[in-house]
Amino acid sequence: MLPEIVKEQVSYACGTEPCTVNKTGEWRFLTPGKAERPSPCNQGCLLDGEIPAWLEAVKLERWEEAWQIMSRRNPFPALTGYVCFHPCTENCNRGQLDRDIEIPAVEKAIGQWRLDHYKPKVKALTAKGRVAIVGSGPAGMSCAYYLNEAGYEVTVFEREKVIGGMFTLGIPEYRLPRRVLKKELDLLESEGIKFRTGCNIGSDIRLSELYAEFDEVFLASGAWKPRRAGISGEDSSGAWNALDFLKAVNSSSSPAIADPVVVIGGGNAAVDSARSALRLNGVNHVTLIYRRSRAEMPAGQVEVEAAEHEGVELICNALPREIEEDGQAVKSILLDHCKTSLEGLAIDRSRAFSKTCGTVIMALGQERDYTLFDTLEKSSVLFAGGDLISGPATVPEAINAGRNAAMAIMAKIEGLPGPGLPAAEQSPVKFEELNLGAKMNLQLQDVQADPSAEASRCLGCGTCNTCGICYLFCPDMAVDVVDGRYEFNLDYCKGCGICFKECPSRALAMEGGR
Amino acid sequence: MKTDIMNHESEMLYAGHNACPGCGAALAVRYLTRALGPDLALVLTASCWSIITGMPPLTALKCPILHCPFPSAGSVGSGVRRGLNAKGQYDTTVVVLAGDGGTFDIGLQALSGAAQRNEDYMFVCYDNEAYMNTGMQTSSATPFGARTATAPYPLFKEGQKKDIMQIMAAHSIPYAATATVAFPEDMERKLKKAREIRGFRFIHILSPCPPGWGTESSDTIHLSRQAVATGFFPLYEIINGVSWKMTCQPEGKRLPLKEYLSGQRRFKQMEDVRIEALQEEVDHDWEVLLKRIEASK
Repeated sequence: MLPEIVKEQVSYACGTEPCTVNKTGEWRFLTPGKAERPSPCNQGCLLDGEIPAWLEAVKLERWEEAWQIMSRRNPFPALTGYVCFHPCTENCNRGQLDRDIEIPAVEKAIGQWRLDHYKPKVKALTAKGRVAIVGSGPAGMSCAYYLNEAGYEVTVFEREKVIGGMFTLGIPEYRLPRRVLKKELDLLESEGIKFRTGCNIGSDIRLSELYAEFDEVFLASGAWKPRRAGISGEDSSGAWNALDFLKAVNSSSSPAIADPVVVIGGGNAAVDSARSALRLNGVNHVTLIYRRSRAEMPAGQVEVEAAEHEGVELICNALPREIEEDGQAVKSILLDHCKTSLEGLAIDRSRAFSKTCGTVIMALGQERDYTLFDTLEKSSVLFAGGDLISGPATVPEAINAGRNAAMAIMAKIEGLPGPGLPAAEQSPVKFEELNLGAKMNLQLQDVQADPSAEASRCLGCGTCNTCGICYLFCPDMAVDVVDGRYEFNLDYCKGCGICFKECPSRALAMEGGR
Repeated sequence: MKTDIMNHESEMLYAGHNACPGCGAALAVRYLTRALGPDLALVLTASCWSIITGMPPLTALKCPILHCPFPSAGSVGSGVRRGLNAKGQYDTTVVVLAGDGGTFDIGLQALSGAAQRNEDYMFVCYDNEAYMNTGMQTSSATPFGARTATAPYPLFKEGQKKDIMQIMAAHSIPYAATATVAFPEDMERKLKKAREIRGFRFIHILSPCPPGWGTESSDTIHLSRQAVATGFFPLYEIINGVSWKMTCQPEGKRLPLKEYLSGQRRFKQMEDVRIEALQEEVDHDWEVLLKRIEASK
C-alpha cells in the first residue's frame, strides 16, 4: 500500500509516482532561515522607516501593503517625500554600483497612492479616550494620526488660523506643493480628528482647563520664538525675522519688501527665506550671509546648491555689526569678517564691509518657548514633543516624537507597558558583504521608469527583497512560492546552504542541526 | 528575474529526489526539464541521475524516463526518436541524459555514431568530471592534476581533459553548446534554441559535485561561476561545427585559475608547477577558442 500522500499527487509520468513521499528534510544538517539586518538607508533614516521593506512591496506593486509598512513609522509619506532631506540616500549601497535608489520618488508615490485610495473607516461608537493636542504641526499631526487610528477621540488646538504648523506656514510652497498638503490635511479631518484653530492655549483656554476636560494632553507647540541678534536697527521696519517673513509669504499675503534683500543665517529657515524672497515680485537680488564657512552651514546641501543655482549670492565668514537706517527704512548692513577658530568665532573688525540693502531677514534660529508651562497648576506626567522639546529640528524627527507620544499616551490610558528603549543597533550591511556574484542573474541594469521599476533596483541590503535567487538555485525544490514571496519548505531542504551563500541581500542565516 | 518561470507549476523536478545536498546535476536537470518540458521524453544512461530519480514506482521528474545500458545512450536515443516518429509524435522532444562517463568514455562510440548519422534528438551531458556515482573514479573528463579514487595521493590525473566540444564540432552537428548551473538563463536560452533545431544537438553542462570535488555543498553555484570567470569552462555555442560564438562571459579580466582550484579538496595538494601547467593549458585553450570565434565572424 502506498502512503496516503502519494495518492493525492497527480502523476505525470507513465505508471510512476512523484518522489515527494521522500521527506529528504530528514537528511538536513544545517537549517536556513531569514535573518534580517539593518540596511544603510534605515540607519540614516530619522524615522527608522523600514525602507527596504516598503521598497520591496512597491516592487511587487502591492501598494496597500507598502502603505501599511510605511504608516507604521511615517503616516505622511506624501509630505516627507518632499520636505525630508533624505539622509537615507546618502549611504545607499546601490550607489557603488551605478547610482543611488531614488527613495524620495518611491516615498512620494506611496503617499500619492494613499491620498488617491483613501477610504474612510467605520469608527467604533465609543472612543477609548479623549486626548487634546496643542499644536497642529508635524509632531501634533503625527500624534493625532496614531491616536485616531487606535480609536481615540482627538482634538487639536492651533493658535494660527490655519492648521499644519510648520508644514503650512514654515515650509515654502516650492518645497511642498500646497495641493498635496491640503489633501493630506483634509484627509486627517475626514478621518474624524477635530481641529480648533485660532485658539491660543494660555490666553484663550488655560492649560489646566485642558487637563480637566481631556484624559491626556500632548504639547507640541513648536519653537517659534525668534532668536535676536542684539544689534542696532534690528527693530526697524525693513528688518524681518525669518519665521514672520515665511509665515507672511506662506499665508499668501505677499509682503511688500524692498530690493535688494539680505538674509542672515545658515540654517534651513535662512535658505527657505532667501529662495522665497527671490520668488517675490520686485525682488531682483538676494544675498545670504553666514558667519561660518560654507561647509559648516546647517542647511541641507541640496537646498544651498539650489539657492545658488537660482541666483542667491552667498557670502560666508561675515557677521553683521549693525543695520544702518535711513530715516525708518533700512539702507545697508555693516558686516565684519570672521572665521571659526578653536576659541569660537574670531571677529576681524579691521576687515569690515558694508552691503546696500532694502530689507534684512534675520534667520538666527528659534528658541523654545516654555511660557506655556507657566500656566500649569499641578505637577503631573506631561506629554510633550517636537520642536518644543528638541529645539528646531527636522520634520521626520517631529513625526517620530509625535508617534512616540501617541504610543506613550495609549500605554498610559490603557495601562500597557510604554514604548521601550530602542533595540541595540546592529551594524548595517556593507556593500562588500553583498553577494553581487549573482549579479548576472539579477536585473541590475540602470533603469528608471515608474516607482516600482525604481524600487526593484533596491539591493535589499539585509532584507529579503524577493529577488528569487534562493528559489532559482535550490537543487531540492525546497523553496516554495507563497503569495509571490519565497518560503523554505523544510520537509525537503537538505541544508546544502546554496540559498544562504547566494542570497544577494545577505538576509539569510544557517543554523546547525534540523 | 530574467527567467520568466518562477513557480512550482512549471517545474518538472519534484522535491524529495535522492541527490546529495548541493548537487549540480539536480540543478542542471531542473533547468533542462523546465526549459524543454512538458512534452519531453528522457533517455537516461547509468549515471548519478539513475540514483537521483529513485527506484520505481517513484520518479523525480514529471516526464517519462527510459533507462538504458551504459554504452548505448546514443543508440537508444536514436531508437526512441524513430519510434516516436513512427507513432506520429514528431513534436515530442527527445533528450538523452548522460554523465561524463556515459559521454566521454563508455558512451562515446554510440554518441559518435548518432552524431555522424545526424539523428534528430538532443544529447545532454552533465559533466561532474569523474564517475561520481560509483565512487569518484577518474574519467577522461577529469581535469589534469585532480585526485580521484583511482588516482589517490601521491598520484593525480595525468593528461588533459578530453575536449568533447571539439569532437562534437568535428562531427559538424547543427548545434553544440556549453552551459553551467550558475547561469540558468544562458542555459535555458541555449536549450530552447536547440529544441527548435532539427538534427543532432549536443549540450555540455558543467555541474559541480560537492562530495566528489571535496567542496562545501553551498559552493556549487560559486564554483560554477568561478569556472566561467577563470576561463576554465567558457560558455559558447557552435553552429554546424564551424561558427563559434561566446554567449556569456563575465565582464573584466579572467580570474587566475588558482581561485577556482583552491576551494576544492581534489586539487588540494597540487604543486605550483602543475597549477601553472594547468593555467597554461587553460590560457592556450582560451586563445584557440578566441581565434575560432574571430575566424567564424
